[in-house]
Amino acid sequence: MIKRVEVQYRGIFQKNLGKFIGGDIVQIASRMGKVAFSNGRYSDSPERNGIPCKYFAFVSQELSEEELEAECGAKLDIDEADVSVVVDDTMVKGVEPWAWHGVRPVNEKVREKGCLLVVSRHGHDQLLQFIPKKAFDYRLALVEGEASFAGMWVNKDDLTRERVLGAIAAVDPGIISIEAVESYLLDRTKQQHRAEAARAAYNATLRSLRVVRPGEGAEWHHEIPRLPTWREFEAGGVVVPAVPRGFKLGPRGQTRNEGFKRGTSKSHRPVIRFDLCTKCTLCWYDCPDECFDPTDDGLFDVNYEVCVGCHRCAEICPVPECIVMVDELRFGNDDSPWEHHTRDPQGYIKWAEEKKGTDRIHYAHVTGTGVEVRQGKFVPPKQDKGGAAARAKA
Amino acid sequence: MATVAEHTNVWAKDALLNGCQAVAQAVRLANVDVIAAYPIRPYTEVMDALSKIIADGELDSEFIVADSEHSQFEIVKHASSVGARAFAGSSGTGWMYGFEALVVTATDRLCPLFLVGNRALDDPGAFGVEHNDALALRDMGWLLCWASTAQEALEHVLIGYRLAEDSRVLMPMALAMDGAFLTHSQHMVKMPTQEAVNKFLPPFNLGKRRMHPDNPVSIAPQVNEDWVMELRRQNWEAARRARQIIPDVYKSFNDLFGPRYANPFFDEFMCEDAEVVLVGLGAVAMPARTAVRRLREQGKKVGYVNLRWFRPFPTEQLRATLGRAKGVGVIDRDFAHGSPDNGGIVVHDVRSCLYPLAKRPAVTNFIGGLGGRDMSIDDCIRMFEITFDAAAGKQSDDLVTWIGLRE
Repeated sequence: MIKRVEVQYRGIFQKNLGKFIGGDIVQIASRMGKVAFSNGRYSDSPERNGIPCKYFAFVSQELSEEELEAECGAKLDIDEADVSVVVDDTMVKGVEPWAWHGVRPVNEKVREKGCLLVVSRHGHDQLLQFIPKKAFDYRLALVEGEASFAGMWVNKDDLTRERVLGAIAAVDPGIISIEAVESYLLDRTKQQHRAEAARAAYNATLRSLRVVRPGEGAEWHHEIPRLPTWREFEAGGVVVPAVPRGFKLGPRGQTRNEGFKRGTSKSHRPVIRFDLCTKCTLCWYDCPDECFDPTDDGLFDVNYEVCVGCHRCAEICPVPECIVMVDELRFGNDDSPWEHHTRDPQGYIKWAEEKKGTDRIHYAHVTGTGVEVRQGKFVPPKQDKGGAAARAKA
Repeated sequence: MATVAEHTNVWAKDALLNGCQAVAQAVRLANVDVIAAYPIRPYTEVMDALSKIIADGELDSEFIVADSEHSQFEIVKHASSVGARAFAGSSGTGWMYGFEALVVTATDRLCPLFLVGNRALDDPGAFGVEHNDALALRDMGWLLCWASTAQEALEHVLIGYRLAEDSRVLMPMALAMDGAFLTHSQHMVKMPTQEAVNKFLPPFNLGKRRMHPDNPVSIAPQVNEDWVMELRRQNWEAARRARQIIPDVYKSFNDLFGPRYANPFFDEFMCEDAEVVLVGLGAVAMPARTAVRRLREQGKKVGYVNLRWFRPFPTEQLRATLGRAKGVGVIDRDFAHGSPDNGGIVVHDVRSCLYPLAKRPAVTNFIGGLGGRDMSIDDCIRMFEITFDAAAGKQSDDLVTWIGLRE
């Protein structure tokens, strides 16, 4: 029997996390006397920031390495997963890894009685608002925590790696046992707290396990694309019709590539207070994906289907509280915020502020304000003024 | 015959490595002097791993990031001419871009080792495996072999240097490895000890041709019609000699590290009494061997040849093994459009190799797995079935079958 684990992660930001978890499973399973190997879904790379990607681990107790490889090693994706780990919960809204793939359900590969294991601060019911229905029973388990984001060459050492390993042992001990996870972490790092983090996650995950019944979950409205046969497209390589040029004022006024929208790359979306906007144009001008549509009143609507959540608009907007990045899971659709604002200005402000809540992401530089805001903790204005004065004197 | 006990102290601990990292570790163990790098995936991960190994102080080597593949290959060619053990590599179109430098490295009889992380040739831009990049070397006076596991890749860097630097050979060596399935798959790999590697791989000695202030020589001056034929004949002799020396190199390896390679040129899997044999290169060995097992359980006499060395081509050995079969199916993860029967590249060499036999097996050809397309166990079973038909004389006019194509 073969156990298949997939780790669904955000490209670049969680690249090393995905690879480490895959490699850890191989080493732990090997210590348990099993045969295992791990690889990534090759076509995901070169990764883009935030694009949904996959890493795999394959484990077997009985098969030889050769037989395990024959079954799993020469394939690009898996047909079904015993455990599908999702290390950023905003991917439950769907994953569009690359052009031609379409937006796919996050639980597409979870097999009957298998487990979808999500790192999240949200509850089961909130996640199931977005996770599509399946035709059979499967399990949903949670590892409580924020998505661990780092960069191309680094991994954030916030114990997500250890906790996910503990959680995998909880949802399917046939892959790795919690004892083996603990002993591996202790041998490898000599640090007790890592083993303890895995054990704590193991216990918490056992408590969070819940069976999802057929019919529980969201209706899926994205079409899975069908690729053409070799007779069905023009000779001379893949010739993609250009996006016809088109522009008119208003929401969705610009023509865009319908074949690859990339909106599932984002874990945050910009919420705009149109009433505060000074019409400075910077968001529209700087957006790397041309997500902003100019409107006839001089404002800029944003198209969330194509926004990848890069934070650029929120960084560059000179007006405090005008563009704020908000957790993607607080939103149920990609409707035009400008239309909402135009239809009901007061209602829109109330809605926007509710969505924004009180958390704010701080950026290293905010153009036009002349104030340097350090990332991380909020710096009170008084202290900051002193700092600025001290710097001016120096 | 050495006993198992004698081999226990030649292996250090197992390590989790992907194919690229396994090659990088072998480059460290081979104490390579000069590494030239230029990124293109899937090769890139080798240079990533090597730069880390050097930064960690585990290897003292010149690491030169070139401005292109062409410069990268020229750098290692020149490094080899001063007697440095040198390493470079590339993939797909990057490999093709450096081709002028690759050709002269062979005609100059210099012997760096290159990793080819097999990748489809553009256009369209694609990253998956196809063997045309490495196979383009087949007529250029190179040593060319395929690894089919990360372990084999590690070992063939050592075997490759030993062979390429042999004073009777002195040819550049290309080690090919399927992109994705081998380069990017993490496995537990057995690491040889440095002492054992030092025993197996002597220091590189270019002898009188070494360019050095103490030995001032000029390499490859312009010559005309009155020289080239004789130079080519020397290359021809070297390639012939390499074929004879390969078994000696593997014997040394097996003596030191344990009986790892029964046949130096190719792995024979259940071929002894096989009526039908498939032949392939690289990662397709994984599903093909399992297909053999399953068909054997049904009583069908099938076998698989995992061809390791393509240059020099193991003519005699392959003729002996395949000559016993009634049908041979050659799996090409490459294309040779417009070639005889419009087959792949490998099938033509295999068919030529079998032609002198009085009683020849029927040869049929499969093109599959292009651009990294999966080849499954079921695909392999289907290829066996078609080859059985060919052996029974039921072959259609079309001698080539495309596997896994969206028809």
